[in-house]
Parts: sequence; structure tokens; C-alpha cells
Amino acid sequence: MAKIILERLAAAFTGGEIEQIGTQHGNEWARVRRADWKRVAQFLRDDPTTKMDFASDLTAVDRLTREPRFDVVLHLYSTVKKHRVRLYAGVPEGDCTLDTVVDVWPGMNWFEREAYDLYGVRFTGHPDLRRILMYTEFVGHPLRKDYPKEKRQPLVRRSGLPGTLE
Amino acid sequence: MSDEPTTLKMVEGAPVPMGPGTESDLSLPALPAGTEMVNVIIDGRAHQVAKGANLLEACNSAGANVPYFCYHPGLSSPAVCRQCLVDVKGQPKPVPSCYTPCTDKMEVTTASPRVLDIRRQMLEFTLLNHPIDCPICDKAGECSLQQHYFDWDAKFARNDGVKVEKAKAVDIGKHIVLDQERCILCSRCIRVCAEVAKQPELTMAMRGDHEVLTTAPGRRLDNPYSLNTVDVCPVGALTSKDFRFASRVWELTSTPSVCPGCSTGCNIEVHTGKEEVKRLVPRPNDKVNKYWMCDEGRFTYKRTQTDRLGVPFVDGVPTEWDAALDQAKARLQSVLDKNPGAVGVVFSAQSTNEDLYVAAQLAFDHLGLKRAYLAGRDQGWHDDILVSADRNPNTAGAIAIGGGRLKSLIDLSQDLKKGELKALLVIGEDGVLAGDAGSAALPLQGLEALVVLAWCRDSLVDSAHVALPLAAWTEVDGTFTNKQGFVQRVRPAAPAAGDSLPTWEVLGHLGRRLGLAKDFTSARSVFLEAKQKLAYMKDADWGKTSLPVHLRFANSRG
Amino acid sequence: METSLTSRRLVLGVQEPEDLDGPDLPTEPMPLNMGPAHPAMHGTVRMVLDVEGEKITNADIQVGYLHRCFEKESEYATYTQIFPYTDRLNYVSPMLNNVGYAMAVEKLLGICEKVPERAQYIRVIVGEMSRITDHMTCLGAGAMELGAFTVFLYMLKAREWLYELLEEVSGARLTHSYLRIGGVSADLPDGFAGKLLARIAEIREVLKDVSKLLDTNRIFRDRMDGIAIITKSEAIAWGLTGPMGRSTGFEYDVRKDHPYLVYDRFDFDVPVGSVGDNFDRYMVRVEEMHQSMRIIEQALATIPDGPVIMNDPRIALPPKAETYNSIEAMIAHFKLIMDGIHVPPGEIYSFTEGGNGELGFYIVSDGTGRPWKCRVRPPCFANISILNHILKGLFIADIVPTFGMANMIGGECDR
Repeated sequence: MAKIILERLAAAFTGGEIEQIGTQHGNEWARVRRADWKRVAQFLRDDPTTKMDFASDLTAVDRLTREPRFDVVLHLYSTVKKHRVRLYAGVPEGDCTLDTVVDVWPGMNWFEREAYDLYGVRFTGHPDLRRILMYTEFVGHPLRKDYPKEKRQPLVRRSGLPGTLE
Repeated sequence: MSDEPTTLKMVEGAPVPMGPGTESDLSLPALPAGTEMVNVIIDGRAHQVAKGANLLEACNSAGANVPYFCYHPGLSSPAVCRQCLVDVKGQPKPVPSCYTPCTDKMEVTTASPRVLDIRRQMLEFTLLNHPIDCPICDKAGECSLQQHYFDWDAKFARNDGVKVEKAKAVDIGKHIVLDQERCILCSRCIRVCAEVAKQPELTMAMRGDHEVLTTAPGRRLDNPYSLNTVDVCPVGALTSKDFRFASRVWELTSTPSVCPGCSTGCNIEVHTGKEEVKRLVPRPNDKVNKYWMCDEGRFTYKRTQTDRLGVPFVDGVPTEWDAALDQAKARLQSVLDKNPGAVGVVFSAQSTNEDLYVAAQLAFDHLGLKRAYLAGRDQGWHDDILVSADRNPNTAGAIAIGGGRLKSLIDLSQDLKKGELKALLVIGEDGVLAGDAGSAALPLQGLEALVVLAWCRDSLVDSAHVALPLAAWTEVDGTFTNKQGFVQRVRPAAPAAGDSLPTWEVLGHLGRRLGLAKDFTSARSVFLEAKQKLAYMKDADWGKTSLPVHLRFANSRG
Repeated sequence: METSLTSRRLVLGVQEPEDLDGPDLPTEPMPLNMGPAHPAMHGTVRMVLDVEGEKITNADIQVGYLHRCFEKESEYATYTQIFPYTDRLNYVSPMLNNVGYAMAVEKLLGICEKVPERAQYIRVIVGEMSRITDHMTCLGAGAMELGAFTVFLYMLKAREWLYELLEEVSGARLTHSYLRIGGVSADLPDGFAGKLLARIAEIREVLKDVSKLLDTNRIFRDRMDGIAIITKSEAIAWGLTGPMGRSTGFEYDVRKDHPYLVYDRFDFDVPVGSVGDNFDRYMVRVEEMHQSMRIIEQALATIPDGPVIMNDPRIALPPKAETYNSIEAMIAHFKLIMDGIHVPPGEIYSFTEGGNGELGFYIVSDGTGRPWKCRVRPPCFANISILNHILKGLFIADIVPTFGMANMIGGECDR
């Protein structure tokens, strides 16, 4: 439904920034090289052909046995052109960072905090990267596949962390 | 940054292919050098396969998911079930792919309308007289019939539901129960008995829709490999008495490991449910055990669940770890100070290489003990199929680490009788020294210090001054060396019983108290150190860290 | 009306308050904690505010108190077992969550066109009933917090009529789990259409009464007009959808822009606000309820007969008579329950119009009967995230109507 976005990306980025493009079940997607994440995001928002001014969702997927381990997934929509695209960025476990897109779409603030909280992906440049759903003293990143579902972690109060008392 | 624009091809599908057969670390055994390869076209795509390779295997490696019942890679192929029929260009009738060797330029269609219809019809025939036993059948969840029906035949029954009645829950052997109604007559079990165990005890009787599986006249299914028939049976016709109704398959987790029953070291999977081992099944290894294991090996897990030593004991009183270790140190030290030549250490051929390595460091390098012995289970019967006479999993490792310094239990017995030993450190006891296996118990009364590290409670543990509990082979990380010299990994499948710890860890604590200034942090770190120092381990591989596989995500096995 | 103009000017930044009200009282900044247990906090949410006097200088909304690990549990549950979890997302409009999730899985399976037509109509009808209950809860609770307790009781009375009917359909007031992959689990009961139409007429009367009580009520208008204005470009940049987004002038409604099920067959309007303040959000919701009732009436008039679930043993459970009498149906039943529906490997982002906006489901399938990842894009997560920004400069008393009209449902925001 939005092949034009992929064509535009393929035309505008010829230096290997777009690693792969594809479509499945009517969803168009593109895999972006990690270092160029913000550039591609800004391009998609500002380019008059694509005009992706609305970011629906940002999350991460734990692929577990593949390299890179995590995929940060960003869903974009254009309120003008009414088309959508999904962007992937592969984030390795060892260097679990990615540029933030908060300055491109401010609404992604909490979504990036959630991806950090549940998967451990740090977004460089995020103004307020702290846990959002789990309590501050929580240790670990629960949505990772190697975090056991039945593991109990009773709250142990620690002071000095952002958001806690004292 | 390349200079020319990279042309991106549009992928039809997901960015990261998932699903069966897409694991990136799927490693198939390499073909021997010089194998002639031929081109086979499967569903329009060309594949290179070895000449004469089995067409069914070739199709399934290409992802075609051709169903089959009677074929098994470890057995001969009779082509009786007709489930694997595929179309080959140039052949008027569909061919059974399990019986067809690959030839050059063969064109195969695995999913044409005719093939799909035939597949569905075969399943309909197979299901015609199949009893509605799924809720009570052990195989449910790993049943090939369920899986193939769901994949290839999703139609409701056309018959009136009246089925042929045959015998159910028949005790045909020491370990096996037969349900004749569930049997789909694939004859895999007959071939296992005839070809693998070399004792043809099963056969088909009667004909038509009254054909049944039964034992040969005058015989029972008693060969020492009988439980392999339960593994290969695609349905729940043959079930193991041990595992019957013990657990549902999807509640089990599978951990790869090695059987400790004898020095063959068959590769196995340990299936655990609710933190208890429920059964052992063989894991394919072309060089060691192919696809099979013996019945005795399947019950080795029971020893880890009975009479376990759960807490340290000092003079028969349960004690905390620290206090017990201090006592052990004190008792051994008092003899070491007076008479170091009278201190003996007993290694066990049931310990892992890591345990033995740390033991050797402590006993030989640090304490400089001269009297060392090797204990192991007694020899048993053997055959030329899988069972070795040596009933210990790591004799090769023990002898290599011992470096020729280990004497036998007979020498130990003599030294004890002569009164030359005043202290004994037993590393790994499981009824051997206690004489539970039938051989005479050792004369241990004259010892001033008897420190026993044991997995199970027996008379030796009860009479020891200090007894320290060990985690069993199903609970530790480590490696065993089999008689062929392969170093094979065991993995923890269940939590350690009581407060027990792995042997290398206990020895580390004891060694620190005895002055050994070394830290052993994990089994893997011990392995890596041993790999560098010991010649026979230089090619050993620790293997990858992996999550235990929940069997509920698996389909049928075999 | 003087005070409302004052507050309008305040928020629009036209004049400084000192000019209007007299000498400034000396204040010092103070941290104030609202929640997580607070009568005016919907769901459980904590707001850490820095206030100077009554004015908020910094707001930090902390969510997550109702996090119940929806995604983690979904990874271990079959696709059908996830339906009860989806009920508990936006728990005041559970059918809409069911619909969104069922559509996502059906898209992955590629069976969207094979869902029987009657089932699609039923999904629309119960979905719109759930939307009405969502808005009734929001407006009723919001009005009560401003003192209009009668409105709360009127709305809850009307809401209870709909819950009774939904209970007749699915067996439960709130946790329906009514939908299945491939259709719905059971047909509508006899006489349902007549009862629903009668109730709709009564609900219209209730809404008329509520309108009379609130629309020109000075207290209500003073507290809602001009408060927490959000502009259309802010709404788009921050990802607001649903009534909150539409109140700013951002006319995005998934049912109109990307029609799904049979919404394109019905004639309904999408109310859009112009100012973007709390009162606009209130009015948008009231109008949406009227439009939902229009859709329901049209759907009930044109609903066809037929099966309510697909007849494929790989997707839907076979009839019980078959299951107990034939091995094929027994195997199908067994595999569907124990293994789950085998969804081919792939990924999908499917979005529908939930009670609060674009409810998205991003599902990653690995070919087995359990999803690899089942993510919900919660509309009120984005809607609430803008409040950190919007609450600055408002008074403490303004938090109540703002938060009320944002309609944070804890179950959806935290999952």
C-alpha cells in the first residue's frame, strides 16, 4: 500500500543506509542501518513525497539467536498521504544503543522509555531515559527472551535512584 | 560507502525469516570429500544434493515438509505407509520419495494438486480406524499423525465412525505396553528390533483392516533396546511403562546431555517437567550412538532421584556447609601435619572432567598426595551394538587426568588392610566403595579422617566423619569423555537436590581452606583451563549457551 | 463568564494574571504528589508535580502501576488464549480490543475475507456498543469529579443497560472473550436486536438529559473551556488519536480513513473539534456516542444470516458432536487447544479504532501456535504522554478535568 515510500528511500539513500526493503501482508517495511537511523527518520518526515508526520509506535523485538539480537521497530504514518511504513534497526546486544527520534516526533518519548525499560535498548540523546512501566529499582529487562516469566523480583528499596524518594 | 547505487530488491515476506528450518546455526554434517553432487529441481528451485541421496531427505531439507510415517533415517526404508508420495517428472505414478534416490536433473513437485490430494487421502485411510484416544494417549503433543493431519488434511470424517476393535493396553515386554488399535502399521518398531537390536521380536499378524502388530510367537519384547521402539513409533501404539501417564509432553523441557550409564556416552535429551527429570531420550549423533540408546541407560536418571544426600553431615549430624567444610579441613589437616604419606584420595570415573581437574589440582599439585585410587562401577555385560562393559561415563578422562598415578580399588583395599592409610578423601561416591554393588565393602575402620563427597546416601556416607553432598550429572555443567575419546557436554536439567553443589565447587571451597589460593568461578572456566593443560581435551568444545527447549513448542520427534 | 475568559487568556498567553487579580501572593516551589491511589486518578497513576502556589511548573506522570505483563504472557499463550488478556487492556471497551487483536491474527493467517459476513456485522455491533460504554464511563466519571454526581449516575445507568445486553451475548459484563480467530464464539441471542434498539432509544433520552445538565452549565463550562488546549500540529507530532486527537481538529478516524470489517457500508460522521480544549474533548465523545448508535441501528437493519465462525478445523474448533465421534475432529480440537492455531511466520501491524484512538497490534509470528511477540500500541499511552507538556502552567484544579477527558485507562496504558 505504500511502495512509493520504499522507492523514495531507495532513491534518496544510495550509500547502503537502507539494508533491505520488503512487503508482507500489505505492510511495507525497510531495514535501516543503525548509524543512519535519525537521518532516515528525519528524511521521511520532511520529504514531500513521503511526509510521515505521525509516528504510531516504537518498540523492540528480541530475535534471540540472531545477530544483531534486537530489532527496534518504528511504525510511521502520513496524515496527508495516508500511507504507512515500518522501519527496523538492528541493535546488537553488546552495544545496545540507538539514536533517539524524540526530536523528530516528540510523541516517541514514552515509547522509547518503554523500549529501554523492557528491552534495555538505550536511546542516545533522549532527554529523560528512565524506566516507565517497571519500578525504578527493578533489575533486568523483563521482555528479553532469557528473562524467565515466572521469576519473582520483590521490590527492594534503594535510595539515590531517579524517581525514588531521597 | 559504495560508489554505485546498491539496487535493493523487494523482499516478499518478513525481514527476519522465522519458523522451522530457518535457524541460522542449523549445522548439517559435512559430506565426505569427493561426494558426487547432482542437481535436483524441487518445486521449481534447483538444489545440489549428493548423488543417490534420499529424495525425502532432500525435499525436507529444501523446506518442502513432506510428511512420512514409516521412513526413519536410521532404518531401512520399506515404503509401506505411502504418505511421502511426490510427483517426479517423467514418472506416470507418484513415487515414494523415501525409497527414491536422487539422480541428476530430477524434477520433483511436492505440492501439486494431485500430490496434495493423495496426501490427504492417505491420511484419511490411516485415520479411518484410528481410535479417538488423544485425551488419554501419551503421544499427544508429539504425535506424527496429529501433526500431519493438521498440516495436510483438514477435513472432517466421511465415514460412519464404526471402527475395527483390537487389543488395547497389552503388556508385551518388560518396559513396553502395546495398543493395537492406535498402531498405523508403519513397521518402524519391527525394523528397530530386527536391524538395531538384532533380535526380531515383533511382527505383523492378520491382514486387511484386521492387521495387527504383535510379538513373534513365543517371544516377548525383551531385547535391551526395546524402548527405542517407543521413540520411533509415530503414534501412541507403543508406550513406555515408566513414562505412561507421567507427564504431558508440552509440560516438559528438553536439555541436551550425555548418558552416564557406560563409557559409550550416548547423546541424550533430558526431559524435565516441574523441575523433575521425567525421561531420557536419545539424541542423534552419527559418530557415537546414531539414533539409539539402550534401556539401561534410560533409567540412569532414577538414581538421581533416590536416596540423595541433600545436606552436609558431620559425624552423622546434619550441618551447615561452612561448618562442615571447616571440619573436613580440620580432620584432613591433622593427618596431613603428622603423616602426609598416609593420606589417600579416591577419584571417581563418574565425575566430570572439570571435577577431576580440580581434584587433581588439589590432590596432586597442592597437597602432593602420593596415594591416589580410581573408583568406578563394576564391569557389566556388553555387546557390539551400544553397550560397553565399562559402566562409568568418564574412565578415559579420569585416567588421562590421573596421569598414571591412579591405582585400583584392589590396591586401596590392600593398603587399608595393611593400615598404611590414616585419612581418605573420597571424591564422588555412589554406592561403589560402600559395596552396595555387591562387592565386598572396604575396611575403613582404622581411618582417623574419612571425608566423603557423595551423590547418594549409603553406608559409606553414614560412617564417614564428614559427608558433603554433590549435585548429580543431571544438575551440573560439565563434560564426560567417552571410550572413543570424544569430550561431550552435560547440561543442568533439574535444580540441585537439597543444598548440594557441583564437585568442582565443593573442592574449590575445601581447597581454599587447605591453602589452595585459586578461585574456580564456573564449570566453563575450569573447562577452559583444563583444555589448555590437558592434551586429550585440546579439541573439546564447550558448546553454545542455549535456553532449554520447551517441548510444548515442538512437534513430533523422529 | 469572566473567569473563563481569564483562564483562556492565561493559557493562550495573552495577558499576565497579575494585571487582573491584584497583588501576587508570595509562593515557593513545592513538590506535590498525586496518586497512585487518589480519588480523581483514573486507574492507578502517579503524578509528581512541582507547584508554585496553585500553578504547576513541572509535571511528571508516572504510569506502570497496573502493568500486568501482557506481552510476556502472550509469548507463552496460544493465539486463542490471548483473547482474555485483550479483554483486560481497555477494560471499559473490551470488545474493541478483541476486534483489533482478532483482525491482526486473521491478517497474518490471510483469512480476512473468509470471516463470515454475519460475524463481521456482529463484530461491528458489539464494538460500537463497547465504544458507547467507554465514552459513558469517561464522561460520567469526568463529570462526577467536577461535582456533577447526577450525571455519573445517569451515565452508569445507561451503561449498565449495554452491559446487560453484552452479558447476554458473551456471558460476562466486562471480560467477554467473545471473539475468536475466524469469527465470533457464538451467535447473538434471540430477540437481541429488538432489545438493543429499545435501549438505544432510552440511551438517547439519557444523553439528552445529560446534555441539559452539562452543556450550558456555568461551572462545568468554566472548568472545561479553554483548559489544556492542544493544537492540531501538536496532536500529530505527539501521536494523539481518538477523541483526544480529533478534538484538536486532526480528523483521523481509522473507521473512515482505513475502513475495516464492514464499516464502509454504514453512513456515519466523525465529530472533529476546533479548539482542542477539554470541552471539545467532551463534546467529541458525546457526538461519537450518537454516531455509534447510528451505526448500530444500520447494522441491525442489514445484518445477514449465516454462520458466525469459519468452518476450517485448522482455525476454528470443530462442533462438539464431531469432536467426540471422529478422530479427525478430535485431532483438530486437540491441536487447536494444545498447540494453537499455526500462524505462518511473519509480522503484521494491524490497527483499528479503539475507544481512545488507534489501537494497534504488532504481532510477530514464528510459525508455531504461540506468538513470538504480541505488542499492543496503546492509544492512551501516547495521549497521556503529552500531558507532561500540557499540564505546565495550569492550576492544580485543572488537572482533574484534563485527566478526566484524556481518558487514561490503566489497563491499556500499562498493559
